[in-house]
Amino acid sequence: MAATRRLQKELGDIRHSGLKSFRDIQVDESNILTWQGLIVPDSPPYNKGAFKIEINFPAEYPFKPPKINFKTKIYHPNIDEKGQVCLPIIAAENWKPATRTDQVIQTLIALVQDPDPDTPIRTDVVEEFIRDRKKFMKNAEEYTIRHALPRPEELPDTPTKKRKAKKKQV
Amino acid sequence: MNTEGDVDSDMECSDNECFGDDSDYYNTDDIDIEQVDPSKNDPEYFEFECLTEEQVERLLNESVELLSNNLQILPSLAKVLLHYHNWNVSEIIGKYRENASQLLINSRVKPSSAPASNNCSRYLTCPVCVLTHSSDKFLSLNCGHLFCKGCWTIHFEVQINQGISTGISCMARECEVLVPEDFVLKLVLQPNIKEKYLQYIFQDYVKSHPQLRFCPGPNCQVVIKSQDTKAKRATCSKCKSIFCFKCGIDYHAPTDCHTIQKWLTKCADDSETANYISAHTKDCPKCHICIEKNGGCNHMQCYNCKYDFCWMCLGDWKAHGSEYYECSRYKENPNIAHESVHAQAREALKKYLHYYERWENHLKSLKLEKETFDKLKTRINQKVMSGRGTWIDWQYLFTAASLLAKCRYTLQYTYPYAYYMDTGPRKELFEYQQAQLEAEIENLSWKIERAETTDRGDLENQMDIAEKRRTTLLKDFLDV
Repeated sequence: MAATRRLQKELGDIRHSGLKSFRDIQVDESNILTWQGLIVPDSPPYNKGAFKIEINFPAEYPFKPPKINFKTKIYHPNIDEKGQVCLPIIAAENWKPATRTDQVIQTLIALVQDPDPDTPIRTDVVEEFIRDRKKFMKNAEEYTIRHALPRPEELPDTPTKKRKAKKKQV
Repeated sequence: MNTEGDVDSDMECSDNECFGDDSDYYNTDDIDIEQVDPSKNDPEYFEFECLTEEQVERLLNESVELLSNNLQILPSLAKVLLHYHNWNVSEIIGKYRENASQLLINSRVKPSSAPASNNCSRYLTCPVCVLTHSSDKFLSLNCGHLFCKGCWTIHFEVQINQGISTGISCMARECEVLVPEDFVLKLVLQPNIKEKYLQYIFQDYVKSHPQLRFCPGPNCQVVIKSQDTKAKRATCSKCKSIFCFKCGIDYHAPTDCHTIQKWLTKCADDSETANYISAHTKDCPKCHICIEKNGGCNHMQCYNCKYDFCWMCLGDWKAHGSEYYECSRYKENPNIAHESVHAQAREALKKYLHYYERWENHLKSLKLEKETFDKLKTRINQKVMSGRGTWIDWQYLFTAASLLAKCRYTLQYTYPYAYYMDTGPRKELFEYQQAQLEAEIENLSWKIERAETTDRGDLENQMDIAEKRRTTLLKDFLDV
């Protein structure tokens, strides 16, 4: 199956290179079409926790886009109470088969850290985001502390360790 | 059998043609005047043609050929340009002469940045399926993004199955370049998907062409063509659907496309609630308590303040007397600005209901008159069979019935127009003409229902009056 081959390659590449803000990737051996992982934003108001997401790839992948769902509650203008995200890059009408999952995740992280008031999904939150940024930051941070998961330990590939790894390769 | 068929086809011809024939026979001078400028006499005059798929195909191909010869480009690229520019050949040629490169970028034929450079190795890995093939298995568009033929094919099949045709673009991320028709047709091999693609792409072309409209009739393939894109009445020659050429929904003169859309949306949203509230509750005009009507009588007494009033107009019952049913024209409350928000909302609803009820009522009457007409047909059939007159003798009744339908249809569509009109002398004039039309239509309807006993001359006179009222109203208020 084309989807399996492509996803195995993508998963291998992501695990090999390591994404700083997407961690603990879990994929069931029997079903490579479902991935889970932790989004770990590094700027306020979401940098006090981690958010579990699930990526579901259709059988027609990469000719049809994956779907992303937040499993952890988040206070965000572009993510609703059910965890649905409005992410243009994976909308059916914009989807490009050559787009890789790491690019999708990068875009998702960028959206989490920098909400887009033009494509809101929660009107009450976007109202607050535009009118009263301070209040929004406070609410989002409190929400993060209350609902988000603990952040995983720092990645082993801090600059010093990276250098060590390189030395080993040499 | 033959005669019946003839009657049907005569019925379907428009009144213009029928009148045209008459005047041709009796008075040739009149027809000469009409030929000078028919749009002056008939506010609904509209020139259009009904085309078959092949005729449209030929028409589109003429533009494609013209452009591809003029610019020396492939026909499939010419199609991309034409679709993007709504088939305006001269605009494309002008822009091409001005700045060809910019035109091709804007029309998504060429990439906005320099094309991707490809190394010429013998083997390449396809970024989509991550398989390695020899380089002759790879293809790219003007943007240079190479993918294997197998992936292109699947990409096209998936897109076509989602109903996408002219909008299929390159598979590379953020690449906007569109896939031309011949590229798709070369790679899609399944005949049924190819068929679908050709069908969708044809639909996209017609929809992007300002002079062409698909007939909205169910399963009708006819395309209507007209030089001026106006909100005028078009009639499909095949399925007889009557629709507005501009917006494609049911013909709606004198109301314009935007207003009728607003009105229909409003009716779809509000009518259920509105129906209940109108049918069951009103405020007492004296103490403003909410009252639910629980009987048939319109003489109401408020259980709270014991005030006697009329359910229809909410006026004092004592002053009512015999002019009870005069409550027909909508009268706005002059003090509404000072009333509470609640009362204002109710007032707005009341105003809407006034127009909605009349709109709905004419719709129902149209349906009922259709039934009357069918019965009339049967009766005439019996008469002719038993030797009382010929088909030709009774012909005028059919003309009368179709004229009545036409007049009532226009009358129905005057209500949304009036609803959105600003108060003032123009609205007064409109409502005056509307009332006149209403009265004449009811007269006509009454006479047709009793057709067998009505004098033919009398009926024809009534037809003339009703149609004149309708034309006068449209001349003054149909603005397209």
